[in-house]
Order: sequence, then structure tokens, then C-alpha cells
Amino acid sequence: MKKYWAIFKLQLANGFAYPGEFLGRSLMILPFMWVFYQLWRVTFAASGSEVINGLTLRSTLWYLVIAEVIELSRPRVGNTISDAVKDGSIAYILNKPYHFLGYHYSVSMADTVFRALINFVLGGAMAWLLVGPPPSFWGLLVVLPALLASWALHYCVAALIGLLAFWVEDVSAFQWIYQKLAFILGGLLIPLDFYPTWLRTIANALPFSSMTYVPARLFVEPSLMAFLTSLALQAIWLLVFVGGLSLLYRRGESALTVNGG
Amino acid sequence: MSAITVRRLSKTFQSKRKSAGLGGSWRSLFRPEYVSVEAVREISFEMENGELLGFIGPNGAGKSTTIKMLTGILHPSGGEADVLGYCPWRERQKLAYYIGTVFGQRPQLWYHLPAIDTFTLFGKIYELEDAEVKRRIQFLAEAFEIKDLLETPVRKLSLGQRMRCEVAASLLHRPRLLLLDEPSIGLDVVAKQHIRDAIRTMSREEGVGVLLTSHDAGDLEALCHRVMIVHHGQIVYQDKVSNLKRKFLTRKTVEVRYAEEVSQDFHLEGMETLKTGRYGVKLAFNTQQVSADEVLTRLSAAGTLVDITISDPPLEEVIARIYETASVNETVGL
Repeated sequence: MKKYWAIFKLQLANGFAYPGEFLGRSLMILPFMWVFYQLWRVTFAASGSEVINGLTLRSTLWYLVIAEVIELSRPRVGNTISDAVKDGSIAYILNKPYHFLGYHYSVSMADTVFRALINFVLGGAMAWLLVGPPPSFWGLLVVLPALLASWALHYCVAALIGLLAFWVEDVSAFQWIYQKLAFILGGLLIPLDFYPTWLRTIANALPFSSMTYVPARLFVEPSLMAFLTSLALQAIWLLVFVGGLSLLYRRGESALTVNGG
Repeated sequence: MSAITVRRLSKTFQSKRKSAGLGGSWRSLFRPEYVSVEAVREISFEMENGELLGFIGPNGAGKSTTIKMLTGILHPSGGEADVLGYCPWRERQKLAYYIGTVFGQRPQLWYHLPAIDTFTLFGKIYELEDAEVKRRIQFLAEAFEIKDLLETPVRKLSLGQRMRCEVAASLLHRPRLLLLDEPSIGLDVVAKQHIRDAIRTMSREEGVGVLLTSHDAGDLEALCHRVMIVHHGQIVYQDKVSNLKRKFLTRKTVEVRYAEEVSQDFHLEGMETLKTGRYGVKLAFNTQQVSADEVLTRLSAAGTLVDITISDPPLEEVIARIYETASVNETVGL
């Protein structure tokens, strides 16, 4: 594990090489939060109620802060891995004594943690200004393991898509589908609580809710039961995806055809 | 004892073929056609521990594919290989602790960070003690003359400086075998010399074997004991470098420029004029008939020299000559 921790730390240091670029990209969360605030303020006003399906305007906006932090900071390794497979640079990672997927996980998590911190500070400040502090400060503590599990799930799906490059030439269509499913069924734009029951049932049965909805909802309404249930659900999906990823990687590795010079 | 034993190693790639135009794309969608490309064809060779072995050939000859099979990155289509007692493609991770690799066209140093950060990272990756890493960095910094470069971000180093750091980094974990894939590509004469000196020193002092691929015949002359020339995926020649030089690297070209106009008579036995101008001349000479010293003495006597370049024949020319030579044809099996 020491080597992966060292890779993580070095990539974190690498992030500091261009802090301006990181900060610039993170500013995107500010207009997003402003637009969400306007949309949900009007929605709550129109409903004539302060609480819709268990969420207030304040908890909805803080839910969206976490959902956006997850989405804007999630490991984006799909392209990195597919490019490495296609242009042959995978070969230069494979010749060191570490696991290819472990290496990419360490690198991408360093970027994720760096981006998440900046996004949370900016998005959180904006939400605080608009609707006040988060509903519960306990949420900050309990959401951390759920966030890590969420990003691990995102990593697995992105890596699975990236590894498809062993067999298909362009994986962008799969990336597009994954992103849209994560948006809709993950509860990125609208908390699943506001969905009709049948759609919520479908969404809850799929892994996308564990990637976004579960940690964001836990943040605004933390409890021991919610914490344990969330982590258990995420752990089950993680087991499924890690299994799938190892299987696909093993098959891809033997199918590797890097042309030489 | 052998560091590398290779028996009838082959690699065939399946490459998709598509006819031109929209029709071709449409047909390829439903009935894709594949062609087999034999990158490496049943090569066999041995390399002793501590040996400096050159593996040269033109682009696309199969050098890098062979190196990638020997590091375990690629699974071969046929044949066997034993590298330091391991089967590379079955025991890649174990083997990785004992080999160092440098791919001239693919930097392994982290681009935005100082080289020392990558050195420290490699220490962790190869599971070395921190104190050992420090001592090793100090030693390599002196051997490769990179002490002043280690704390500069890699992106700010010249190509030559970067390559010295790359090779030094690959030796951090004291590998028994160093696989260098085009380490001198794109380097100027001085930088090439620096790299070659450092590799030679390390090989001599630490007994590390070096398998070097290059398409620069100069790398061979300067570094290797023995050479294998690969062409179209086959080994077309393997012998001592001294024999190769004697047989095939006998013709050198020299190009000189003078400060003033010179007479055109440069005749010497074994020397041939290729191109003449008012201020300069390009000649070829056979080192078995006339020494470089004699050629230079003759040329410098003709006027004040401003510039001079001596070059080896391109590798393609050497390979063409190898094919032409009947005695070698027997080795090749043509």
C-alpha cells in the first residue's frame, strides 16, 4: 500500500504545479449553485410548502452542493485509460512493480481530493450565503467515507469503460451514456426524493444512486442507521464493480497489442 | 550464466484493414478484414550477465516489440523467453524488481515535478529503505553528473539532461538488467556522449547487463560488446561489435568547410569525393585502406578548417551490405 500512497502524494504535489488552472475550473460550481438556488426557490414557493418529500430549500441546496462536488471532482480515468490502451502508453506503466489499476486509482484520487476540497469550499460558501449553514455539521463527518466509496464506484465504472478500448476503438459513446445515467438516475440535478415512486424504485435498484444520491442525502440528514445503510449499499456495489473490473482487466491484459518501434 | 535466453520468440499482430472511402468504411463495419503483421519472427538469442548487447535495426524492425515481450508487457504469439530466471509475461511484476527500463520516447519522470520526486517515488515503488534511497540518489547524481539538475522541474531540463536523469532513475533499485529503448534518440553529439559514458561506467561498476536498442550505429560502437541486427522481425546478424566494424562499418563520410576557397584535389587511396564546392567538400573513406587521421591531415593541409563532420553510414546502408554479403547470407539462412 505504501507505493500507492506515495503515488497519491506525488500526484497531489503535481496538482500544485498549476493551482490557477485547478481553481479556474472549480469556479464553475458558483454559477451552478446560483442557478439551482433560483430553480428550487421558485419550486418551493410554488408548492406553498417549506418541506417537499422531507427536504427543505436549505437541505435541497446543500444536497446539491455535495452532489456537484461528487460530479465535478469524480475520477475521470475513462479517457486516460482508453488513451493509454490505444496509444500504447499502457506499456510504460506495466513495466513497474505496481498494479496498473492501482496506479491509476492513486493518481485519479489525488486529483479528486484536490478538486473536491476547492469545489466544496466554493460551493459551500455560495450555499451558506444563499440559504445558511448546512442542516447538520455531523453530516460533514459521516459523509467522508460515503464520498470515498462514491468516488471508488465512479472510478470502477470509468475504468471499466476505459478498458473497453482493448476491444472497441472509441469508448466515448459509453462515457456519454454513463454520464447521462449518472445525472438522471444518480440524482445529480434533482434529489431522488422528488421522483415519482416507480422511478425512485428503479433508481434505488441501480448503482448510480450509490454514487451521488446516497452520500448527498446522508450529508443533509445524517444518522447512524442512514450511515450504515449507505455504506452497506455502496460496499455491495463496490464488490460487484471491483469483481467486474478485475475480470475485464485480466482479459484485456492478455489481449494487449502494443506495436513496437 | 545467461541473463536472457530467447528461443523462437514470435509476435504477430492482427491489424484491421479498410478500403478507402465511404464504401470501404461501410463494408468494414459489417465484414471487418484483418491482416496478420509479423512484428517478430522466431528470433533466438542469449545474453550473458553483465553483457552490453546492442539490438539494432531500422524503424519497424521489431526491436521495441521484442523488448516489450522481454519485460512481460506483451504476450508472444509463440516461443519462449527466460529473463533472469523468470518467464516475463507470466511473472511480470516479480521480474520488474530486477530490471530497469528506459524508453527514449516515453519519459518516466513526472514532467511538472523535480526529478528527485520521481527518484523518491521509485524508492517506494521498488520497496527500498529511505536511507538506502538517499545514498543511492547521491551516488547516481555523481555518476550521471545530475546533482544540480535534481531539484529543477523536469519540464525545464534539456533533452540531454532529462535523459541522464531518466537512465539514472532506472538504476535506482540496482537492477541486474537494463533495457534501454532508443536512449539517445534526438540527442546532440555531446549529450549522446554523456549518456554513453554514464551507462558504460554503471555497467562496469555494478555489473548490470545492458540490452540497448537503437538505430544509431554510433551507440553500438561506443557501448556494446556484441550486436544483433534485426530487420523485418528477424535477426539478420549477430556478432562482436569489433567484427561488425571490421566487416561493415568501414566506410565513413566526412564533410568539411573551409574559411577560404580551396583546390579540389583531395585524392588519397581509399577516399572518394562525393560532393565538392568552392568552400567545402564531402568525402567517403574506407577505414581499412586509410585512417581517419590520414584523411584529416590531408584535409586540414588544404586550408583553414571552419567546420568538420564525420559520420557513420546510416544503419539501412549497413543492413543492405549485410544482405549483400554472401558469407552472412549463410548465417541469415537466405
